[in-house]
Amino acid sequence: MSRAHQLEKFEAADFINRTHKPIPRSYGDALLAAAKKDQRIVALTADLATPTETDIFRDELPERYHNVGIAEANMIGLASGMARAGEIPFVHTFCSFATKRCYDQITMQAAYPNLPVKIVGFLPGVATLLGVSHQAIEDVAIMRAIPNLMVFDPSGPEYHASAVDAALAHDGPVYIRLKRPETPPENDIVPKEFRKGEGILARNGGDLTIIAAGLSVTEALAAADRLAADGVEASVVDMASIKPLDADLVIDRAKATGAIVTAENHSVIGGLGSAVAEVLCDAGIGLPFRRVGLADRFAEGGSTPYLMKKYGLDSTAIIKAARDVFGKKD
Amino acid sequence: MPQADNPKRNLAELESIAAKLRLRVAEMVAPTGQGYVQQGLGSADIFTALYFAEARVDPGNPDWEDRDRVFLTTAHNTAIFYAALAERGFFETGRLSTYCEDGSPLEINASERMGRFVEATCGSLGQGLSVAVGAALAARRQGRPTRCYVVLGDGEMQEGQVWEALMSAGAWGLDNLCVILDFNEMQCEGHMDSVVSLRPVADKLESFGFAVYDIDGNDMAAILNALDAARETKGKPAFINARTLVGKGVPALEGLMAHQLMFPAEVAENAIAVLKESLS
Repeated sequence: MSRAHQLEKFEAADFINRTHKPIPRSYGDALLAAAKKDQRIVALTADLATPTETDIFRDELPERYHNVGIAEANMIGLASGMARAGEIPFVHTFCSFATKRCYDQITMQAAYPNLPVKIVGFLPGVATLLGVSHQAIEDVAIMRAIPNLMVFDPSGPEYHASAVDAALAHDGPVYIRLKRPETPPENDIVPKEFRKGEGILARNGGDLTIIAAGLSVTEALAAADRLAADGVEASVVDMASIKPLDADLVIDRAKATGAIVTAENHSVIGGLGSAVAEVLCDAGIGLPFRRVGLADRFAEGGSTPYLMKKYGLDSTAIIKAARDVFGKKD
Repeated sequence: MPQADNPKRNLAELESIAAKLRLRVAEMVAPTGQGYVQQGLGSADIFTALYFAEARVDPGNPDWEDRDRVFLTTAHNTAIFYAALAERGFFETGRLSTYCEDGSPLEINASERMGRFVEATCGSLGQGLSVAVGAALAARRQGRPTRCYVVLGDGEMQEGQVWEALMSAGAWGLDNLCVILDFNEMQCEGHMDSVVSLRPVADKLESFGFAVYDIDGNDMAAILNALDAARETKGKPAFINARTLVGKGVPALEGLMAHQLMFPAEVAENAIAVLKESLS
């Protein structure tokens, strides 16, 4: 029996390199550009350079980059020390670990002293095959509750560069949840801008309003298209700035359309939906209202479309909620 | 007593099981390229020794209260873990082909929704050892023969909680706890020494009150000897520093530092051919 041809190591490496499809680093490029302009910016990662797009920062500004190892709580403390010494640290890992693993450290060493520690998480919500441990379904809820700390949930890579600007524009701690494209996009990414405390009216319609953030904005726009085909015109708000929330825009849309659906890649408890409900209640506005999000349950690992559908986060779920609130209007 | 079902202590037989499990790892990861093939191949001997020679577990009764508890704290190393569990009889080997499929409980990070043989859900690194220390304390208090085995990652030891758990286990002299470090020197960014080095790990653990055994983690006889010595040591927890080679068994992959390798079809095909040949 003849022996199987044994691949040489270099041949295997070649196949591996060719399998790798580069994904644009909308965030990583913007952070590097900002750091070249502002010497105070430093980058830290808890052993996730490539998945957090900080490999380019590592390669170009190695003296201002630290891979602290798999040690998130320590990373927040290190960032606090750097910020107290006049630097602006951007810390990077997956959303789940950037928040839950080091919540106390963030509270006491970044938020209470109101330091410019910028916490950047990837893999928001259910959207990963890595399962429950890697799914940040309650990060917005817990981060939103921390005084001084802002929370941004941009809807796509076109807003990732703007997230760097928005983080720098706030002189204090910020949490950003980012979702990288899973496959290389077909067209070039054209940067767009969002600002702290300002929602973006992505679509104007008079029958109801869908207020969405992050990955759910695409689903909300798809839902609005399908509703329009049936004669229901929905406004869609991209609420990338979850804290501070654009209360004026929420109240304006509530009054203009009379029904609201919120949509988020997060638990229905404590996130965008809760934040919008707080604004409406504080303003004394009662209206048909539904939250689309993870229904107070854990998910599982899987492909993003599979999970969005199974756990009721996709455009179909948003349409159902939209029809429900529209039907309840006076 | 399920002991009758186990252990098998025939060295040649164990090595042949390890070779079979390596092939399963390659076959499981090949269809999608997803899975931790390098780590799986590297730690196949550890899993074989644990499940086929050492741990008192009963596939017919996974809930057996006096069982030994095996904690996989590097929960992403699932290809080899599932292959070993299936081969040991905890579930049908046919289910291995659903690895990482939408809806399959054979997720890339092991979840306890699979059954009690997944002793804890540890995808968030650094948490499992504390759970094992708690289980070992409970077993000691309840007078059970249970031993707790932990397959720990080296990169994972950068998490502070690991050291809290180690310190407590040493301080409390938990001799029913056996930590096996899968010391493959690899983490996401590459070689561990280029990130935050763990060396000298043996000295650290000795100073924490552990009986330390430093072995070649791909040498089945050495693993069995260390497990024997650990079991016989009284008054101290054991720490087996198992130096493993990532990609072990496939020459093209041996030593290749690629934590999250997307297994290309050409490489997978070759690996499967090479591993099949090693079985014959």
